Amino acid sequence: MDIRTQVSTNYGDMATKFADTWKSQVSRLQARFSTAIEEVRMPIEFPVDVPIVYVKKDSIIGVLSFLKTEQGFEYGFLADLTAIDESPAEPRFEIVYNLYSLTSKARIRVKVRLAEGEEISTAVPVWRGADWAEREIFDMFGVKFTGHPDLRRILMADRWEGHPLRKDYPLRGYQVFTDPDPINQSLLD
Amino acid sequence: MSKDGSAHFFTTKLDAMINWGRKNSLWPLPFGTSCCGIEMMATFAADFDISRFGAEAMRFSPRQADLLIVAGIINLKMAPVLRTVYEQMSEPKWVISMGACASSGGIFNVYSVLQGIDTMIPVDVYVPGCPPSPEGVMHALLRLQEMVQKGETHSQRRLKAEGKEYALTAKA
Amino acid sequence: MKQNETLPSGITIEHDPDDLWSDSRAYVNIGPTHPAMHGAFRMCARLNGETIEKSYCEFGYTHRAKEKLGENRTYHQFVVYTDRLNYCSAIQNNVTYAMAVERLMGIEVPERAIWIRMACAEIARVIDHLVCVGINAVDLGAFSFFLYGFHQREEGYMLIEKLCGARLTTSYTRIGGLMADAPEGWERDVKAWVKKTRATIDEMDTLLTNNKIWKQRTVGVAIFNKEQCMQYSFSGPSARAAGIDADLRRDQPCMFYKDVEFDVPVAQNGDVFDRYAVRMAEIRQSLNLLVQIADKMKKGPIWSEDKRTRIPDKEVVHNTMEGLIHHFKFFMTGFDVPEGEAYTQFEGSNGEAGFYIVSKGNPRAHRMRIRGPSFWHYQGLSPMCQGEKIGDMVAALGSINIIAGEIDR
Repeated sequence: MDIRTQVSTNYGDMATKFADTWKSQVSRLQARFSTAIEEVRMPIEFPVDVPIVYVKKDSIIGVLSFLKTEQGFEYGFLADLTAIDESPAEPRFEIVYNLYSLTSKARIRVKVRLAEGEEISTAVPVWRGADWAEREIFDMFGVKFTGHPDLRRILMADRWEGHPLRKDYPLRGYQVFTDPDPINQSLLD
Repeated sequence: MSKDGSAHFFTTKLDAMINWGRKNSLWPLPFGTSCCGIEMMATFAADFDISRFGAEAMRFSPRQADLLIVAGIINLKMAPVLRTVYEQMSEPKWVISMGACASSGGIFNVYSVLQGIDTMIPVDVYVPGCPPSPEGVMHALLRLQEMVQKGETHSQRRLKAEGKEYALTAKA
Repeated sequence: MKQNETLPSGITIEHDPDDLWSDSRAYVNIGPTHPAMHGAFRMCARLNGETIEKSYCEFGYTHRAKEKLGENRTYHQFVVYTDRLNYCSAIQNNVTYAMAVERLMGIEVPERAIWIRMACAEIARVIDHLVCVGINAVDLGAFSFFLYGFHQREEGYMLIEKLCGARLTTSYTRIGGLMADAPEGWERDVKAWVKKTRATIDEMDTLLTNNKIWKQRTVGVAIFNKEQCMQYSFSGPSARAAGIDADLRRDQPCMFYKDVEFDVPVAQNGDVFDRYAVRMAEIRQSLNLLVQIADKMKKGPIWSEDKRTRIPDKEVVHNTMEGLIHHFKFFMTGFDVPEGEAYTQFEGSNGEAGFYIVSKGNPRAHRMRIRGPSFWHYQGLSPMCQGEKIGDMVAALGSINIIAGEIDR
């Protein structure tokens, strides 16, 4: 019994309700971005809740804009942008985009695999709200986004060293400061 | 004493008089950061009224308050801010550490959390609970009032040691 | 002397030719300890008199590393941390988390537990909205509005206390069910509370909704229209105030939301007044929902008998060897969640609250990602307040209901 067991009170009908929509969307995506898509994991075959499309990092913005604006997709709501540290597996990071369509009520997930030190383009041109989510990924994992308007730490203090959500950062790695952060005037001019 | 035996004055010690005034007019600075802030709001609201004890005047400026109620988690990012706010308050000043997170880091023994505000500032009363019920906060306030009356708080002891007991605007 | 400056957003700031100093701007820190910043948030702003020309927001002052803790605690131990996310509606987070883990494990929760969970979610929604509009009103000067709402909130806390003994940090749900059953007559108490709260909301409505001062302070202030809301992933009442007709309870129903009737209030303009009006209407809808749920609840078990997650009862633990060992293994190592990943969303009081859990088959999650709606809403504050006065910024901040627990996690 795992996620493939369909429980009606817990989104169990999603797999059947959207099965055809997802199949046609995935085949259209593969037709359009044949080289960019590394892998597709469909629900029921794999223990996942929505189709996961693994995209190469160079074409991520193209795929996201296509998913956002194209007829029949219209995944206009960026539900979540986050990262996973898969170490010791290589490539180390997976950047995860959870998308939701307000018109068809379907969800889809796009993932990009990144190695340590690799950079990926920012999704800010597609969704302004990706700004802070990418800053958080930079803060917590150390992944840099090219073209980001303002890539600096967001949750931790600017002076913090290290990236806390990486698997090698200890749970209790304290770093104590004694003086408050000053205003960053360059951001206000 | 007048001819019919009624008294027109009473004798007492000066510090008892001053401490009585201080304890019944604690002006809290609600330093609410997280969940305990909601229970603190509930304490200040009508059901568990804290103004019965004289603590109605919530002043958010450290220059105008004398009781710092630290309600909620204090981070390593927030700790310097807390220290600055504490130093800006004028003597005599008191600190209630409300909740488990402020007293000891609570259930969060992680990289970003200060494990207890008493590592940074002297605390007079700790209130256990996660979050403490408003009755707990009121109990803490009453306990603090007893301590203020007897002169047992950190601030009063410090002032006494410096010889500035009755100073109303002494520097920290 | 400087020329007129046009900011990227299109607002022109005129320079007063009588300025004595060539640059009379002030760089001001609003927070992190500030009465109007709910919790510890910081907005650094460049002010021209009272107008905010440019600003940037900071947070992280209550970061408690819950995502890292999610990787270091078993699924059962993590329930405690979920309360502290949206602490104004704490029991709702418990419900969302339990649903997320149950989805990964394929557990079917008994009916009565689902009805009680729905009731808890709606009570939490009402008390969260009461806090939001109450604090919004206090920031703008209307204090007694807050007191009326808070009294009903205390009564609501008493309902929750009857269920689990705690007012705020409830940790009420368990994976597969609930901690304890609702006591006898709880449904009757819920209906009595609904009746009193309806009367109180009507009273609160007469105080503010048609009040000239309230309207002057909130209508047309901090407008965030539909496109901006979609760009910044706004959801919940803040999005519905701008005209986005989306409610996960209706669009992607979970639990028994298909079997109950409710309306989804949507406004047009996306200003502070609309967010207030949408929240007041939503309180009324939730109260209607609570009456329906209280009528439909029937007696039954409250914890699924799935051996993986059901903690044995104390009689079994103390009297049988298997019960003792099961109990020991449960608490010492935790239960394995099968490999898989899922993003489970729920219509929280603030918007789309979600848990994205990646499991590698261990008793601890590989990645526990918490999607807090306030994170995305707080990002919209700086653009919302561009060119507004500080007083309007205070109104805007109160209306989008950002809660530190959700942003910082």
